[in-house]
Amino acid sequence: MLGAARLSSNVTRRNFLKTSATAGAGLLLPFHIAGHAGNSKNSGPLATAPFSPNAWLELSPDGDIKIWCGKSELGQGVRTALPMIVAEELSCDWRRVRVAQADLEPKYGEQLTGGSLSVRTSYQSLRKAGAAAREMLISAAAAEWNVSRSECRAESSFVTHAPTQRKLGFEHLLAAASVLQPPADPPLKNSSDFTLIGKPTRRTDSLAKATGAAKFGLDTRLPGMLIASMERSPVYGGTPLGFNADEVKSAPYVRAVLEVKSAHLTHQFGDTSGPGSRNYSCAGVAVVADSTWAAIEARKLLKVEWHEPPSASETSARLSEKMLRLASESGTVIRNDGDFDQAHRAAANKIEAVYEVPFLAHATMEPVNCTAHVRGDSCELWAPTQIPGAAAASVASALGIPRERVKVHVTLIGGGFGRRLIQDYAVEAALISRDAGAPVQVVWTREDDIRHDFYRPAACHVLQAGLDAQGQLVSWRHRASSPSIETFYNGAGISPQAAAQVDSLDFPAHFIPNFRLEFTVAESGMPLGYWRSVDASGNQFVLSSFFDEAAHAAARDPLEFLLAAFGPARKIPVGNGETLDVGRRRRVIELAAEKADWPKPLTAGRGRGIAAAFGWGSYVAQVAEVTCDAKKGALRVDRVVCAVDCGTAVNPLGVKAQMEGAINFGLAQALKSAITVSGGRVEQSNFHDYEVLRMSDAPPNIEVHIVDSSEPPGGCGEPGVPPAAPALANAIFAATGKRVRRLPIRAADLGSA
Amino acid sequence: MAISFTLNGKAQSVDVSPDMPLLWVLRDTLNLTGTKFGCGMALCGACTVHINGEATRSCITPVSSVAGKKITTIEGLSADGSHPVQQAWMEEDVPQCGYCQSGQIMSAVALLSKKPNPTDSDIDDAMSGNICRCGTYQRIRKAIHRAASMQAGKAKSAA
Repeated sequence: MLGAARLSSNVTRRNFLKTSATAGAGLLLPFHIAGHAGNSKNSGPLATAPFSPNAWLELSPDGDIKIWCGKSELGQGVRTALPMIVAEELSCDWRRVRVAQADLEPKYGEQLTGGSLSVRTSYQSLRKAGAAAREMLISAAAAEWNVSRSECRAESSFVTHAPTQRKLGFEHLLAAASVLQPPADPPLKNSSDFTLIGKPTRRTDSLAKATGAAKFGLDTRLPGMLIASMERSPVYGGTPLGFNADEVKSAPYVRAVLEVKSAHLTHQFGDTSGPGSRNYSCAGVAVVADSTWAAIEARKLLKVEWHEPPSASETSARLSEKMLRLASESGTVIRNDGDFDQAHRAAANKIEAVYEVPFLAHATMEPVNCTAHVRGDSCELWAPTQIPGAAAASVASALGIPRERVKVHVTLIGGGFGRRLIQDYAVEAALISRDAGAPVQVVWTREDDIRHDFYRPAACHVLQAGLDAQGQLVSWRHRASSPSIETFYNGAGISPQAAAQVDSLDFPAHFIPNFRLEFTVAESGMPLGYWRSVDASGNQFVLSSFFDEAAHAAARDPLEFLLAAFGPARKIPVGNGETLDVGRRRRVIELAAEKADWPKPLTAGRGRGIAAAFGWGSYVAQVAEVTCDAKKGALRVDRVVCAVDCGTAVNPLGVKAQMEGAINFGLAQALKSAITVSGGRVEQSNFHDYEVLRMSDAPPNIEVHIVDSSEPPGGCGEPGVPPAAPALANAIFAATGKRVRRLPIRAADLGSA
Repeated sequence: MAISFTLNGKAQSVDVSPDMPLLWVLRDTLNLTGTKFGCGMALCGACTVHINGEATRSCITPVSSVAGKKITTIEGLSADGSHPVQQAWMEEDVPQCGYCQSGQIMSAVALLSKKPNPTDSDIDDAMSGNICRCGTYQRIRKAIHRAASMQAGKAKSAA
């Protein structure tokens, strides 16, 4: 993967080198331009060995700086943001940075890419890594000049001694720095001295991605590699009883037809599976051939008889009925403040509503795939995975070999959104490679991808709220029911509280006196997983929509009602040493509203809606503007205005991209996507029946405003998703008076206004 | 039986099953992996190439149907990313995961060759067959307008 990254960073490098060569000054051009040549001893021989004081960086004698990215690049920009953090403290010339992808190795620490954690959890350690190298280069220069370290500073790949105006390029200091002891706790820059962090910076991988040179998992090519296309049990948990191996094997270019057993998968946070965990790869039959086309074509000849589990009777309609019944009854109490029943009885104005969201598939653009080469008791993987450690552990377990014998190369990934947290494809590739005796790439078709995902759970919510005579919220009860991701992975033995999918539902707790939240697991045979923003993806739609209902019931402006509920800026302790920062919450809401011209009236048929979400260390508010033609059931999202406070925005250009993408992802859930089940089988199969957002559906404009902040960085991959659907639904209500209470929004939902 | 066509300006001949989709000929036979597999049903546009200048979904195009024709893939657009559309893509920082972008760019180039100054509605029509799950649509739109200006500027300075 280094090749792809190297190509991209050459965009600027090429221009730089061209200019340098023309001037005849080689790599020292900036120095000569500065006009201090006479003061500098820089003619000594350049080191021939690179300087690599830690796992994260390597300085070459030619002036290039290689920085390793220890997280998986799924599009979220870690191959840009993480190297920026190292480069900032190293004080190097960003144009000379080349980014390399780290393989799975202990020296890179936790390599899980998920939970919007990459920048948050890497920020300090990567700064230290860069700072340590900087301090060593400064020490080397100070020794060379025989001056005090404190008089020297590093900037743009040079160390400067200000009193004598002397300057040395990093490349002249490598040998001397290499023999120094790396400082254990190097000083970090003040944020006011940052020259890279906080500056909008273009991606390091866009040239490779604009020229087709970028190599994704599916582009892995190995000598002698075979391709596998696999028929999986149409019902999760089923197993093949028999299949026509001989007939399929006689098809052109087919090398093998193999049964692939189901295997237990290692959970991303370590193997916490208890009895009843259903965290396993699908059983099925693999057709192994010389080419992808041959494998896919031969698979069409396959006839498999399946043993099907009891969930083969599951249907979406019955699950919906069950969830509605469970959410209408009392469930496990997650939070109970004051006395809901008493307060609600006394409320002057009461509202009640039922909301529903469907199962969702991730539908990453790069279909699921993995390449494996099993040789004896070792395995090498080329895996588009968000957790190489869990891929190695899952494969080791399935093959019965030590985990250390599994080598993982992390490839570029064509979209993750949580799908690649699950390692089923790695296990399939390894098992098939072992049995085929060759390197094998397992290629999922889009149909495989839609039908065999680990789905965002469907859910049903029943809510009640009460207002007093002054229009103040006094009572709120939220009952939810859905299949549980936690039970799916960890087993049925976990507590009902641990099984609850209630992330972000603790609102308006802390702000009203009587609040009750209950949850009941609805059993389902469907495989479940983490879908960008997880629980909050559906929960925030329900919560922010019903809150909007409460505002309208109180005949108050939804923005004013929301801000009034929060009250003044303050910090509220919420236990576990955490505080709820009301000021930061208010600021993003106020900023989004201001930039969206709230409450300036819109013409008939148009409406504006607001929603906010808090989590992953960040604060996001969005205002959607829509035009609706209720008679035609037509809807257009005109624009979305987003305000985000993610603390220190390492790369504001990347933060904006994540918000834009998250909004489009959230709008896809609002307008397009649903997975349904019949006979335990997923009914959708490709983009004609599992629809996602297209250019013509996307708002022409998304505006992202970043709150200036020096707080620690917050996550950015997920928090932009949850507010998009409710902001849109609230805008539809403002435009039409029709309340959307289930997703995706159907034309009929608008037409009956 | 060998099937011959022009690929990125050069004569190419392949000996494969005539019903094999062009996508797999490019990716598996010729090892040109810039063209992507996304859906296999012409629903997502990741596999878009130009056949005689027309944006075409290579995943449903039997290789036999391109005999004698001129095919351009993302690799053939420029050797170094210097095509105005690629430049505009980089300047607008369009790609996220990047998997769909080969197809997006090929669709955009075909659009601009027919409509050098497309409206937003032209862009909707030409680009709605290309899915981007990361949601880069707004930047794609900007990049197409930018590429149109760049090409107009170039045409003007050449005139």
